[in-house]
Amino acid sequence: MLEFLIPNNVLCHAVEAMLFASLGCALLSVLITQMNISSIGFTMSHAAFAGGSVGAFFGFAIIPSAIFISILTAFLMGPLSDRTRMHTDTTLGVLFGTMMAVAIFFIALMQGTGKGFEASSLLYGNVISLYREEIYALALITILIIVFLIAFYKEITAIVFHKRIAEIAGIKVRPIYYGILFLISIMVAISIPIVGGLLLYVWLVTPAAIAYQFCNTIKRMFIMAPLIAIIISVTGAVCGIMYSLPVGPLTAVVFSAFFVGSVAFSPKRKVIFHKH
Amino acid sequence: MTGGAKDVILLNQVYTTYEGADLPVIQDVSLHIKPGEFVVIGGPNGAGKTTLLETIAGLLPVVNGSVTVCGHDVVSDGCTARKKIGYVIQNFDFHPFTPFTVEEVVLMGRYGKIGWLKRHSGYDMEKVTSAIDNLGLTLIRHNQIGKLSGGQQQKVLIAQNLAKEPEVLLLDEPFSNLDMVTREEVSNLLCEIADGGIPVLIVSHAFDALPNRTIRVLVMQNGKIILNQQSDPSKVGNLVRTASVAA
Repeated sequence: MLEFLIPNNVLCHAVEAMLFASLGCALLSVLITQMNISSIGFTMSHAAFAGGSVGAFFGFAIIPSAIFISILTAFLMGPLSDRTRMHTDTTLGVLFGTMMAVAIFFIALMQGTGKGFEASSLLYGNVISLYREEIYALALITILIIVFLIAFYKEITAIVFHKRIAEIAGIKVRPIYYGILFLISIMVAISIPIVGGLLLYVWLVTPAAIAYQFCNTIKRMFIMAPLIAIIISVTGAVCGIMYSLPVGPLTAVVFSAFFVGSVAFSPKRKVIFHKH
Repeated sequence: MTGGAKDVILLNQVYTTYEGADLPVIQDVSLHIKPGEFVVIGGPNGAGKTTLLETIAGLLPVVNGSVTVCGHDVVSDGCTARKKIGYVIQNFDFHPFTPFTVEEVVLMGRYGKIGWLKRHSGYDMEKVTSAIDNLGLTLIRHNQIGKLSGGQQQKVLIAQNLAKEPEVLLLDEPFSNLDMVTREEVSNLLCEIADGGIPVLIVSHAFDALPNRTIRVLVMQNGKIILNQQSDPSKVGNLVRTASVAA
């Protein structure tokens, strides 16, 4: 797609992958942080990680396996909390631990069966050896997220503000909420080969966390978070490939550094004293 | 009270429960509310007052009986019913940096009526402006809601429900965060709404803030209505107290 700009094929693929992954994840990060569903996003990203590991071990395609387990987990979370009569966070904690254990178990097994490279890609991601189809899939899900956000913008913002108030306004909250969970499931599953199961969460939270420090409206957050994510991710991919550094971890560290800087310089922490 | 074609709210032997609760919270409640009635729901804590409002708004599972608002069954057709119901909730806690302005929050009240895949029109904004002006929020319409005081936030939520042009208005402790002057203003506004034919149901312990008009008093205890009668506003407090103690 961007060959006319970047003649180097490897670099071009890496930039394209990071561009779409960061754009899609950053848009979702605004929803995840503002709806306070970080624990849900965290559990789903690790469910995708576990699905990918199981798929890779048994020789299935990673992305469909990751999507399957991630969606299954998303739809299990609600009923499981009701059945166990526990706080959702507790149920999510149990699910997260289980998914992490499953992922690590199969990754450990893969290292003993000559699939060490695949295992490492699942953990930390690998932007260099991506297939073109994987980048197309990323582009497609990113477009789907943008279309979903534009089409249901008013319903989504009302749910982000207050789920109960949105319901009282006459909005069908459930289909939109499940739509958001579905998109998170697909996005995390497709992004795992790029940024890795362990680091994916950085892309799903940090862009919005940085944007939040400078934005007073959700509209601005939806613009600023993707811009920040694209700049950091593409820069990370270019620097990583040019200086032979691991792209995923490098970009994740840059994200964290930007977050620290944003907190330090956020206008939201300024105290204004009025002189009378 | 007898039911009839003009009843806007109709509850027939209703039992409702919260998900995960062992017993129904509302038990065998029947109620008929006509247009323009001003209803005050009183009773001790945990009597089921908020649950009754949530039941009318179709926000809780009805395990037995039926609830109809403006001709719509709130269980099978809840979304359509809620487009006609204004409901100011009691417990809200907005983060100081919640990225929404007063105007955006008030506009949300109209989202259900606007419908899927449509943008708000000039008429919607007219209703928003009118509600904001009515509640005296004009100067802070572009401020973030999280940075307002509890009373101002309460007024924003009332404005949100007025902008909706409801056919039924439910308010849970609408005076709890308001100062004396604002209480009187809100009380007069609610009185005007009821005079315009819209039934107003409020859960309240602030009986001194009630408008000067005939009021129907419902007293609840253990999920049941133990008193249902018309009263003068000055006698509501005594009625509620006496009924609660006698029960």
